[in-house]
Amino acid sequence: MAPLDKKIKKFLKNSIRIAPKISDKGELAELRTGLVSQYPQTRKDAIKQTIKQMTLGKDVSTLFPDVLKNIATNDIEQKKLVYLYVMNYAEIHPELCILVVNTFVTDAQDPNPLIRCMAIRTMSMIRVDKILEYIETPLRKTLQDDNPYVRKTAVICVAKLFQLNKDLCIELGVLEDLSNALGDTNPMVIANAIASLTEIYNLDESVVPLPTLIQSHFDQFLNALNECTEWARITILTALSEYRAVDSLEAQNIIDRVTAHLQHVNPAVVLATIKVIIKNLGIIDGGQNSDLIMKKISSALVSLMSTPPELQYVALKNIRIILEKYPEILTKELRIFYIKFNDPLYVKLEKVEILIRLVDPSNLKQCTLLLNELKEYSMELEPEFVSRCILGLSQLGIKYSDERFIQKVLDILVELLESGQDSIKDDCCIALCNLLRHCPTNASMSKNVCSLLNAWTSPVTLLQQDSAKCNYIWLMGEYPQHFSTLNDKIDEFVENFSAESTLTQILLLITVVKLHNTLKGSVLQTVLECATHETSEVDVRDMAMIYWRCLSIDDSSALVSQLCNLHAPVINSTIDTFSPEVLEKLLSQLGTISSIYFKPMDDSMRKQLQHQNIIKGKHFDELQSLAKNELESKNNDDILLDFDSESVNQNTSGQNQNNNLLSDLDDLFDFGATSSSNNNQRSETATEDMNKLSLNNTDSSKLNATSLNTDDLLNLF
Amino acid sequence: MSSAVYFCDNKGKPILSRRYKDDIPLNAIDKFQVVLSDLEEESSVIPPCITHNGIQYLFIQHNDLYIVSLATSLATNIAEIFTFLHKMMDILGEYLKTVEEESIRDNFVIVYELLDEMMDFGIPQITETKMLKKYITQKSFKLVRAAKKKRNAARPPSELTNSVSWRAEGIKYKKNEAFLDIIESINMLMTQNGKVLRSEILGSVKVKSRLSGMPDLKLGINDRGIFTKYLDGNNIGVNLEESELSSKGNESSITSSSGKTKTNIELEDLKFHQCVRLSKFENEKIITFIPPDGEFELMNYRLNTMIKPLIWCDMKVKVHSKSRIEIFCNAKAQIKKKSVATNVEIIIPVPEDADTPTFKYSHGKIKWVPEQNAIVWKIHTFPGGKEYGMSAELLLPSINNEEEPKFKRPVQVKFQIPYFTTSGIQVRYLKINEPKLQYKSYPWVRYITQNGDDYTIRLS
Repeated sequence: MAPLDKKIKKFLKNSIRIAPKISDKGELAELRTGLVSQYPQTRKDAIKQTIKQMTLGKDVSTLFPDVLKNIATNDIEQKKLVYLYVMNYAEIHPELCILVVNTFVTDAQDPNPLIRCMAIRTMSMIRVDKILEYIETPLRKTLQDDNPYVRKTAVICVAKLFQLNKDLCIELGVLEDLSNALGDTNPMVIANAIASLTEIYNLDESVVPLPTLIQSHFDQFLNALNECTEWARITILTALSEYRAVDSLEAQNIIDRVTAHLQHVNPAVVLATIKVIIKNLGIIDGGQNSDLIMKKISSALVSLMSTPPELQYVALKNIRIILEKYPEILTKELRIFYIKFNDPLYVKLEKVEILIRLVDPSNLKQCTLLLNELKEYSMELEPEFVSRCILGLSQLGIKYSDERFIQKVLDILVELLESGQDSIKDDCCIALCNLLRHCPTNASMSKNVCSLLNAWTSPVTLLQQDSAKCNYIWLMGEYPQHFSTLNDKIDEFVENFSAESTLTQILLLITVVKLHNTLKGSVLQTVLECATHETSEVDVRDMAMIYWRCLSIDDSSALVSQLCNLHAPVINSTIDTFSPEVLEKLLSQLGTISSIYFKPMDDSMRKQLQHQNIIKGKHFDELQSLAKNELESKNNDDILLDFDSESVNQNTSGQNQNNNLLSDLDDLFDFGATSSSNNNQRSETATEDMNKLSLNNTDSSKLNATSLNTDDLLNLF
Repeated sequence: MSSAVYFCDNKGKPILSRRYKDDIPLNAIDKFQVVLSDLEEESSVIPPCITHNGIQYLFIQHNDLYIVSLATSLATNIAEIFTFLHKMMDILGEYLKTVEEESIRDNFVIVYELLDEMMDFGIPQITETKMLKKYITQKSFKLVRAAKKKRNAARPPSELTNSVSWRAEGIKYKKNEAFLDIIESINMLMTQNGKVLRSEILGSVKVKSRLSGMPDLKLGINDRGIFTKYLDGNNIGVNLEESELSSKGNESSITSSSGKTKTNIELEDLKFHQCVRLSKFENEKIITFIPPDGEFELMNYRLNTMIKPLIWCDMKVKVHSKSRIEIFCNAKAQIKKKSVATNVEIIIPVPEDADTPTFKYSHGKIKWVPEQNAIVWKIHTFPGGKEYGMSAELLLPSINNEEEPKFKRPVQVKFQIPYFTTSGIQVRYLKINEPKLQYKSYPWVRYITQNGDDYTIRLS
């Protein structure tokens, strides 16, 4: 009976749990006693407790040696927990790590693949040189393991090692093994190898020739594609989107091979597939074929609208990019983008963006449908949404561009103004002015709008946003005859001059100069004085000075009358667009974070990242955050320079344009810096900015301004 | 690629985390809470991705949790991360039932194990619950003895890295059955006068497989989209289907007013579970697959046809300013006489400040739910062709400003119609073939039509 007796004893010993003693030395001491207990179950409980404390954010690193004692165990769960602990605290106790190295190396040869994986996975995550010194043999062995599960883990470990210690990684020569893994028989190993290589390539382009590898393994990728998990498919498809097809035949072949994946249930697979197709679409011979492909892409995009809201958001942002390249792609699917009442706000706003872009301006029925829809939305409760929809109404009117249709839009806006609260007045004012700027010749329309806005008693306090105020002031300058209480209103604005933003000040200055013949009293004098003395803004002051001089030159009547008769150019679209280079870049980055912010990654950014990663050592994190802070502040400066201080959203989307806009402005200023006629351009461009023009218009204004400029020069001399 | 995944409570404070890459500072997550609350103060538009200090915070919400993924590079595949986070919540759901702060804290061991297995170095790895359950043992409390006895039990199943990564070998059932559920959810937006602004059918074919071995399944459906679009019309099978359908008489649900004939209806954007051989479908239009064990969604589809409202509510709202509001509702089941709609719920919004409701109605039950600012009319069974009515009166506070009472929300309708699909989709056959075992098997099919998440009538 002895063996049975022994068994019972053993069983008891294994399953006994000792309640942790409450000691007065505190919790750590308690855990320590548990960790060194003679009963396995008690030890395991103590490990769990330790991990729990770690999860809660308490520092349990002092238990390191005691936890380490439990690493040699057959219980996989316990081993996992100890590994987790080691991973977290190894950096604090580098000298003790040498104790675990042995276990790591043995575990990496364990017959159980799960343990082999765990060992190599953990080992390559620890930023301690002593451990990394021993990684060579286990890593090499696991890279050649018979079990694909181990191999797929090992290939990732190469990237981990590279991130921790680049030189060692190169010295070991595992990068070649990694490249060879692209030819593995198992699709998951291939996919992870691609991911791993991409990561290394992003850190340092010089060590792995990723583009060449993609070119040469392209067949393997296509074959692996049909036999792997959804995540592996995403990785492979992303790699395929980097592949440059040699001719139209090959491009067609790629498209044929991947198209089936448009029907995958995973939205990320679908987006990655679309990216591959779009990349090759330009190369194939068009015709009917591409129509069919377009149809397929279109229905795949639509299906992304029945995913969780976060993914819808990603999809909507990407659709906006795709639409700009292929405007005809979704025209029949307008209804899909109608707002559902329980959509989150960020989805609703994006949907309006798409609706406005999608609607076919030659299709009256569709436009009318959308008009009614937008009207309905404008009566919702969320202010941001309502504001976007009111702007949308004006965008739609300008897009359809028919005066009768615009009249309809105007009627809706008027109706909204009559029923709504003060909060929508800003947006309505901007929308109305935009519409007027689209058809400046329509006299009855301008009369109606002006009389409506004239009825507002105190626009200075009523309007909140700068752009709304600017538009109001511009309107007064443009149609002074329709404002019965013009003088009072201007006076009120002037009184408030110093409190206004630069933009409003500039516009007020322009308008007062423009109307100086009609205005009563010494408004002109007051404004010029305010602008030269009470503001610290250089732009405003300079402008006021130049105006002042122009007005005080003896025979300047011609110049002055020309100044006063300037009109802002006609708006043809108020929908933001990307510049062609940006668009191409964004198309190649569909599905990434940069496609959400519309900020394409370029090589300089990548280089910067690489540079940051080269700095190693203990202060890595701090250095990185410092560098990032600096970058951030630089970015902020950029944003400060932007003329339209819109919401963040618009800022990011408008960034690309603004950069261009800024350079345009620079050109203008340089050109006419010496002559007083500089004014014209300034006033011109300032009004431009206030009305948020798209690139095309700035271009036209540039032409406009330069021609004026030469005229003026002739006048002067 | 994601650098770390954090589970945070409803304020954004981290409760559990797994760092996958070493490229972000440890304290980066603490900023999340701050940035989030700053953003909330500024506006109510909170996109699911925030940038702060060069770190991207991508997050989803689930019950009382924020699940945040941190990334540094703008080249990170955001679609992949969001999909992964949602998938992860599904999997945790299967392990922990409800995933919320409490259950995450209680089961941190299992969560760590899963996080470890589902993602490596920020690259999603294995997310098939059936397979994960094979080697990530379900109970977080397990005796040492059990682990010792089956010493080599917890190994990664070899199928994981096979081409059929979703099914283990050697599954056995006494009775081999497969259940097919075809569920169609209707999304519809209507105006008060009965005009349909938008309508779509979201269909889903769910399979519950209880089959032994490695069965190969072949599904035949009458989807005319697949057949009429790609094969020529003289296919016998199609003609047969057409005749079958017309005898079924689905006309009641599909309006011919839009001028579309029935053959024009196409199943759009079919989406398949990863077990379906996509290339086979692409080339031959046959749905073949080796199913995972247990329940899964085989495919889903979307139909973008104009349909008549299945449950129509004729609403009349009279607001007597400063005193009371009267609501009349006439609900009609516009479905075949044979069909019955069940669990019908009509949710009618009322002004926030309304009180003391009085109701008159012929059928069902009416309740006022002040938390939702709505009255809910429940009708348990609603046979086709019937018409039920109700009226309600609520008092409004006498002190009222000039503005009209605000209840811009639409009327929502919930319902289920069993044994009926709006699109007319039908399963023709489900062939089950297990090459080795050659057993007899029983496929079962059910149909149901229900409301989608947006079946609403706009009040003007």
